[in-house]
Amino acid sequence: MALTRRGFLGGAVGAAALVGLGACSSKHSDGTSSDAAGSAPASSGGASTAAGSKASSGPVTGKLTFAFWGGSVGETAGFTYAKKKFEEANPGATVQLKAVPYDGFFSGIDRGIQAGNAPDIFRVDYTTIGKYSAKGVLLDLTPYVSAAESDAFLPALWEAVKFDGKPYGVPHQTDTTCIVYNKAAFASAGITAVPDKLSDAWTWEEFSDVATKLRSSLPDNKFPFAYDWTQAGAYRWLSWLYQAGGTLLTPDLKGTALPSAEATKAMDFTKSFFDNKWVPKTNTIKTSVYSDNFFLNQTVPMTFIGDFLVPELADAKSGYKGGDWGATYMPQSTAAASDLGGNAIVALKDTKNPDLAAAFLKFLVTEDCMKYFCEQAIELPTLKSLSSESLQYVSRPDVVAVCAQQAATISDTVVKESTVPAFASINTLLQDQLELAFHNQSSEATLKNIASGVTKALAG
Amino acid sequence: MTLLQERMPTATPQRRRGGLARGQALAAGGFLLPNLVLISVFLLLPLVLAFVISFEKLGSLGPGEYLGINNYADLLKDRVFWETLRNTGVFTLFSIPIAMAAGLGIAVLLNSVLPGRTLYRSIIFLPLVISGISTGVLGAWMFDQYNGFVNKFLATLGISGPSWQANGTWAMASVIIVTVWQRVGFDMLIYLAGLQGVSSEVQEAATVDGASAWQRFRHVVFPLLGPSTFFLLVMNMIYSFQVFDTVWAMTRGGPDYATTTVSTYAYRTSFDEHGPQQLGYGAAVGVVIYLITLAITAAQWRFSSTRDQTD
Repeated sequence: MALTRRGFLGGAVGAAALVGLGACSSKHSDGTSSDAAGSAPASSGGASTAAGSKASSGPVTGKLTFAFWGGSVGETAGFTYAKKKFEEANPGATVQLKAVPYDGFFSGIDRGIQAGNAPDIFRVDYTTIGKYSAKGVLLDLTPYVSAAESDAFLPALWEAVKFDGKPYGVPHQTDTTCIVYNKAAFASAGITAVPDKLSDAWTWEEFSDVATKLRSSLPDNKFPFAYDWTQAGAYRWLSWLYQAGGTLLTPDLKGTALPSAEATKAMDFTKSFFDNKWVPKTNTIKTSVYSDNFFLNQTVPMTFIGDFLVPELADAKSGYKGGDWGATYMPQSTAAASDLGGNAIVALKDTKNPDLAAAFLKFLVTEDCMKYFCEQAIELPTLKSLSSESLQYVSRPDVVAVCAQQAATISDTVVKESTVPAFASINTLLQDQLELAFHNQSSEATLKNIASGVTKALAG
Repeated sequence: MTLLQERMPTATPQRRRGGLARGQALAAGGFLLPNLVLISVFLLLPLVLAFVISFEKLGSLGPGEYLGINNYADLLKDRVFWETLRNTGVFTLFSIPIAMAAGLGIAVLLNSVLPGRTLYRSIIFLPLVISGISTGVLGAWMFDQYNGFVNKFLATLGISGPSWQANGTWAMASVIIVTVWQRVGFDMLIYLAGLQGVSSEVQEAATVDGASAWQRFRHVVFPLLGPSTFFLLVMNMIYSFQVFDTVWAMTRGGPDYATTTVSTYAYRTSFDEHGPQQLGYGAAVGVVIYLITLAITAAQWRFSSTRDQTD
């Protein structure tokens, strides 16, 4: 199965994202502030003249701990494989894996950093990495990564781990949202054709038509679809904003672009999901039922999910029991868009053995380790070489192929805005305001509140 | 010498008593010390630190910044905080009387000669043994408005179940029901202990005086349960202002802020990695919870006339 998003991600994103991220400014924990506005963007190998000076430092020894949230069996298998291979390649090096539940993961990391006993290396999502890099707690990988090595990554994902032009981690994998649907339910509703090419993705009007047909074919306690904006996934609402042609922030990332006509259009449309009974009333932000749960318990015949959930749905024992299911693309309006999912791996600045930590980070993103990890965990690689190679996914490669194509719609704007240091705060703001919007707060008030909240978050 | 010998017996016991008292004091201190250390380290010190932090702007990373009373001033202007206080009040107002009345009723039933009463007591007490998070997850499943047991059961009776999760009032009702289910065992246990301390002679005397079963309960048994009632009121009140796990697992404080209590608000503000992680502001919320709990307990202590009543 060929992953075909290389063309887009490989070409369109780089320059604009470089300029955008280079313009980020942030207060630091020591009270100083950095403002790179106007500074020259860093080269892909990093801004320092010492870029890549330790890129090939030879075998390393010592001990380090690597904390990650225990997502799936496939992810654990992928990390275990990398640890084993790394220890074999570096006699005298020991990696202690610490699988921690996702709930409370970052709180634990923060407490550890404050107390001085945090793991040397940890996993972090792209929407949170900015918080750590801006606070100056991560190891700057500039001396360890050569220009050739950094060029090996899809430019958008490499930009996602950079702050002020310097890399503070390695992009380990990515994922994004696509649609899965029940084929029999579609047939019952008279939906005979589903887009099988990204360029043919439903327009909002076509998507509305599909939802309307499903609504009329379903009983009152079933709903056409569910969306994956529950809790920390609130930021995935932004995909509708981008599809409408809007943005969250101004191009220099220093202010909010809200309110706007595009944002009103996106907010009105998403609010209509509830008014039209296209989604369950409980498919809001503050709930314990996620979009995949609605699909698994057959409350909806169609749902938006991250590709990392494909193994869960495909599981023979506890997976989807509603019959044959397929996948298609996110709808599009003025533009096609999807969210930047996935995770980077970072090391602490204060790690006792930075050379060892950097070596392990680089080992995790070698072709062999990344390929094995992505195949096991049903996630998408970040290396250009793998993005054009056929990966042997352990389940539903046809669905992963759709997600991989969908990933081409992760634009430079999505990457830039999703990785600003304040994004974690912005995501919290979105959680609260979207929850209110989906319970009758007007679009105007919601956008006004989001705008003022974003301004406050950007100011620190 | 004789005089000295005569004095010795009186002098020696005095020294022994003194020695014994010192020995007892040392022994008592030895036993108390571990507890005092634990209380100091894990209770008093965090309490003091929470007060200190509540005057700071403190994030999850980096140093704090002294703000004076700004966090408290912000709290007064925080619409969400007042809503959480109101929610906690509603939760308290409904959950405590229902749980205590049910606990008392069950305790009276299970205090009588009833086959299998030990089994019934265990069953009713069981939810308290399970962690709050587990109870909350069970509650979320039971009250799922589309696929939950409760609405499916109501459907078999031809009743269309309410929107337990989408409607704020019903969401709070579901949280209260699950909390009552969890807490009633504790209330039953304390009342059972209280009932077993009520002298049968007093009740027999009332019977001889012509009191009916209800009159005996109302005018004899219930007043004698005063200390149990007082204890349960205080404990349940404290629990209500600290309720977190059940609510978090069931509703995450939603819909909107309809089930957000002061504790879940403090957690979301301080520790939830997807929240703002304002430790100082969260500490200020925590201090307010502490002060409210303290005030309620003091008021109950002051105004409860039956707190020390015994038979």
